[in-house]
Amino acid sequence: MGYSANDRQAVVRLDRITKRFGEVTAIDCLDMEIMAGEFITFLGPSGCGKSTTLRILGGFERPDEGRVVVGGQDVTRLPPNKRDVNMVFQDYALFPHMTVAQNIAFGLELKGRTRGEIDKRIGELVDFLHLSALRERTPDQLSGGQRQRVALARALAPDPKLLLLDEPLGALDAKLRGQVQVELKDIQKSTGKTFFFVTHDQEEALTMSDRIVVMNAGKVEQDGTPEDLYFRPKSRFVAEFIGETNLIEGTVRGSDNGAIVIDWNGLEVRGAAQQGSVPAAGQSVVASLRLENVLCHAEKPEQPNAVSGRVVHRIFKGSRMALDIRVGEREDAVIKVYMDANEAGRFAQEHLWISWDPQRLSVLHG
Amino acid sequence: MTRHTRILMSVIYWAFIVYLFVPLVLMVVMGFKDSKFIGFPIRGWTTEWYSGVMQDAEVMGVFAYSMAIALASTFLSLVIGTWVACFLGPYKFRGKLIVFAVTCLPAVIPGIISAIALRIFARGIDIEPGMLAIILGHTVHNVPFVALVVMARLSTLPRSHIEAARDLGADAIVAFFRVTLPYLRPALIGAGIFCMLLSFDDFVRAYFLGGYDPTLPVLIFAKLRSGMSPEINAIATVVLVLTAALGLWAERSMRRLNKGAS
Repeated sequence: MGYSANDRQAVVRLDRITKRFGEVTAIDCLDMEIMAGEFITFLGPSGCGKSTTLRILGGFERPDEGRVVVGGQDVTRLPPNKRDVNMVFQDYALFPHMTVAQNIAFGLELKGRTRGEIDKRIGELVDFLHLSALRERTPDQLSGGQRQRVALARALAPDPKLLLLDEPLGALDAKLRGQVQVELKDIQKSTGKTFFFVTHDQEEALTMSDRIVVMNAGKVEQDGTPEDLYFRPKSRFVAEFIGETNLIEGTVRGSDNGAIVIDWNGLEVRGAAQQGSVPAAGQSVVASLRLENVLCHAEKPEQPNAVSGRVVHRIFKGSRMALDIRVGEREDAVIKVYMDANEAGRFAQEHLWISWDPQRLSVLHG
Repeated sequence: MTRHTRILMSVIYWAFIVYLFVPLVLMVVMGFKDSKFIGFPIRGWTTEWYSGVMQDAEVMGVFAYSMAIALASTFLSLVIGTWVACFLGPYKFRGKLIVFAVTCLPAVIPGIISAIALRIFARGIDIEPGMLAIILGHTVHNVPFVALVVMARLSTLPRSHIEAARDLGADAIVAFFRVTLPYLRPALIGAGIFCMLLSFDDFVRAYFLGGYDPTLPVLIFAKLRSGMSPEINAIATVVLVLTAALGLWAERSMRRLNKGAS
């Protein structure tokens, strides 16, 4: 991307959105701007409010409080057919009695385009999405991946300001999914459209997104780039939800040269605080350490955070080896480590040393 | 299953088939008999009863009258039944079960009771006995069948299909005609043919609600009273062949549609 987020226009603004279903608050005062041309993913477990947000944007649910602004227009009270927003449904929702071409034409016809314009647009889309040979097929004659592309073509056809995608890869098998993730990202880049993607799959979110919003219980846990969320999680929820991590629970002793010193079961370890707010001495904290950031040594290294441990499990995972290393006397003080399977032979002994860069141990709040 | 029960079962089955088809076969055979009286022995064969029926302006006129009633009441039943199904299907409201039960009631009320009630009601609101009264009577009777069949089909329509139509710019009415209705097509064809057969076959309602013009079953009944003749067998055979053909065609096209559409 040649330009930074600052140069862009907000295409969607969610202004203090609250949505309740009976006693349950699905979305709690959500405030957010979505920039033009952005691939934004709402990520979270089921019931976190991500799908409700999507349905509010599409016009299928009306928020109890707050406003939805799309392209400068307040659409909060507009039905789906009056919005410049289109959606790719989880089950694709292709019309079974229409051919691929008729499905794609549906939205264009309702916009009052002429036959010539419609044919031209269908031509562009089937070329772009490799559907040319399938134009006259009906949905039951298509594979899962082909259906997904038709659903995408149909939603892109009316040229919406915002494209909503409701877990559209869930129905595909694992192998195809990886391939489609890359395709989808390419399509988003080359069309320059704003994609609003909803998923519970963190790997999918990391692969495709420019920006990820992690939601939990109706609230935004963290909003940032995939790298931000992975390496600099703000909360224990984010750290655990995205990727695999080691969580270290301890008490703050103080700070030293910008690093935070933590007492972890009697061991002194160093980490870095997130976003400037340094916890006070005596406060109990949780810190996250990604598996791949732990270094192993046969001898005690001359580095900070050198801790000795005992290997309790070795798990062969093909290209990599996962080691569970118990540190100190406590049963639950176990650090998981990933290492190259070839390299693992160097650490065949039971005792070894581990260390990490203090910047890589993210100290979270509470 | 032991060998004995298997034999017993097949004997019962074939006895049933004989009971079902022998009268029909006899009826068809008697239509070709070269004699004024129905019964054995048969001494000669003729097709003159059939050609007589085909040239009989009265019979042909009554046939057309019955067809017109069947078509009109079927059309009305499909419109009202679909409307009821769409109304009852997706919404949850208090008393839904009661509304549903009331809708289905005409299907189970004995024909004679509903015929008398309709006759009194039709007079009360100044509808002359005749074609309109019969059409309305048949429609009341047929709506529950349409509603049940359409509701069953409607319950398999994913909500996302309607939402997708709305999302792409259709208002509720356009979404209904362009997405819901095509999806209901197999159900509507099946229910429609069933309604046609019910209406065409009905005697009791047509008798009570009819005016001076008889429908086909009423005409056959009138002819029977003036004595059995192979002419009646000929009429009955024509009706049998037509309705059986219609039923089989409907079954076949429904199966094809179901295979294509779901």
